[in-house]
Amino acid sequence: MENNVVSLGRKLEHDGLCFFVSCDFPAVCTAQKAPSASVGRLYTDKHEWVEVSNENVATVGISHYAQEALGDVVFAQLPSIGTEIKQHDEVGALESVKAASELYSPVSGKVVEVNTEVENAPALINKACYTQGWLFKVLLSNSDELKSLMDEDSYSKFLKSDAH
Amino acid sequence: MAFAIQSASKCAKFTSVLVRQGSGGSLLSGVTKHAAMATSADVLPPSTPGKELSKSVFISQSRDVFTNLALEDWMYKNFDFTDHHIMLLWRNDPCVVVGRHQNPWVEVDVDLLERKGVKLARRNSGGGSVYHDPGNLNVSFFTPKARYSRKHNLDILAKTLEKEWNLSPEINKKEDLIVDKQYKISGTASRLGRSNSYHHCTLLVNVEKANLRASLLKNEHLHINSTATASVPSPTVNLSELHPGITMDALMAAVGWQYMKTDDLTKSDKGWRQVQKQKGFQMVNPSEEWFPGIQKIRDEFASWEWRYGKTPKFEVSRNYDIGWGLMQITMNVESGLVKDVHVELPEGVAWGRMTGRIELSTSVANQRFTPASFLLVEKALKTQKLHSLHSDDRRQAARA
Repeated sequence: MENNVVSLGRKLEHDGLCFFVSCDFPAVCTAQKAPSASVGRLYTDKHEWVEVSNENVATVGISHYAQEALGDVVFAQLPSIGTEIKQHDEVGALESVKAASELYSPVSGKVVEVNTEVENAPALINKACYTQGWLFKVLLSNSDELKSLMDEDSYSKFLKSDAH
Repeated sequence: MAFAIQSASKCAKFTSVLVRQGSGGSLLSGVTKHAAMATSADVLPPSTPGKELSKSVFISQSRDVFTNLALEDWMYKNFDFTDHHIMLLWRNDPCVVVGRHQNPWVEVDVDLLERKGVKLARRNSGGGSVYHDPGNLNVSFFTPKARYSRKHNLDILAKTLEKEWNLSPEINKKEDLIVDKQYKISGTASRLGRSNSYHHCTLLVNVEKANLRASLLKNEHLHINSTATASVPSPTVNLSELHPGITMDALMAAVGWQYMKTDDLTKSDKGWRQVQKQKGFQMVNPSEEWFPGIQKIRDEFASWEWRYGKTPKFEVSRNYDIGWGLMQITMNVESGLVKDVHVELPEGVAWGRMTGRIELSTSVANQRFTPASFLLVEKALKTQKLHSLHSDDRRQAARA
């Protein structure tokens, strides 16, 4: 995670924002203070994140690493509410600097909410990928799928490895 | 093609491959996922155990934009590029291709294009609108996503132009190829999936520039409010204007050979020795026989649902000078269908008893949006007279 924090700090400094004062990345901050205190967010090897609420609803977004790799997102094409999706299905796309990156669902279920704020202001994905920049919510149909995802620690190790 | 004959000796090693291609066989060697392919006896085994990377240059024999977009899509979805990178060269009859998340009504005058016989297509990659005709070469670079590099691909093209014709194009911030600091010769866009990717770009060789300009004219009457990706207009120049030696055939040959001389793993030019590792030029026929399922993909690309229905939701309005000020008709359009219509009257004007903003229920609701939808709304408005609430105006209107 250290590497990430450094690059994040640089990026935001560059943007004229102060990372340590107004933090849009609670996960990063949490990791900084106490690396083991995970907020329950899970990650895929394709840099999507999932956070499950008590009602078996998973919020899906992309990781800090992914948003940085994409660059400025100019358009977010999200799935429609009510769509039944399967894990790994193509559910939309994020467009940045003329590249359309397909969006895949890390979980199966029914789309119950999409982030219309992100549809109207895709830059939120870059600014706050773990908070305001979430993409859509899924009512899980198979919570076993979550077992194959990485927790905060495993994901930060994964980011340091060459595998991604 | 000229270059195929000219390079016959260099190409000899690929004769067997070319023959097999003709019979519809080894083209499919890279395929892993497509069910029909996986069971085909024609499928060649994957590359040698050492897994050396080989490259091919495919040349589409179609000039139909929907067929070529379908071919590109088919390859993206069905090939495994791990051991085999492909460059696809393709050209289209006159058309405008908008980016995946664009609004065609913002980008072009849809009715004008139709009258001119210029097709409108939507591609799967991001970015802005481009005009194609047979004087434009489209180059698609297919690689696994892990090896996706637009910069590397553009370097190959820039190097070709430098070596063959002594031009020195630069890659600008938008990753367009430009000459003389501003004139665009190539525009770039790409698509990234879970395992595959492609980067495609245009190369202007000798397009009809008057037609290019006319095809990208907009309908000035429509005021559109939308989050759709915007195009960035750029001045363009044809390569043939920069060097008379740059013909379409010469460029296709030069670009193809330079691609095959380049080692994508080390990103270096290894000359003719590297070419020996490649599979060479292959003419491809984007037919159902060669690419099972391609017809269905073509039909999707040509459908209203994809070309217009995929437009991000937007608000479109037109202003009308009614003598007492500007009246505005506004429609909200989702998935290409008119969702609601309202009229905004200038102050002091009434329609029947209503003033200000009036929601209309008209026959255009839930219909496909076209600029002609406004005519229908205008007609509906005429069922009641617009009148001024000021007595002076009323008298004037009566006299008129």
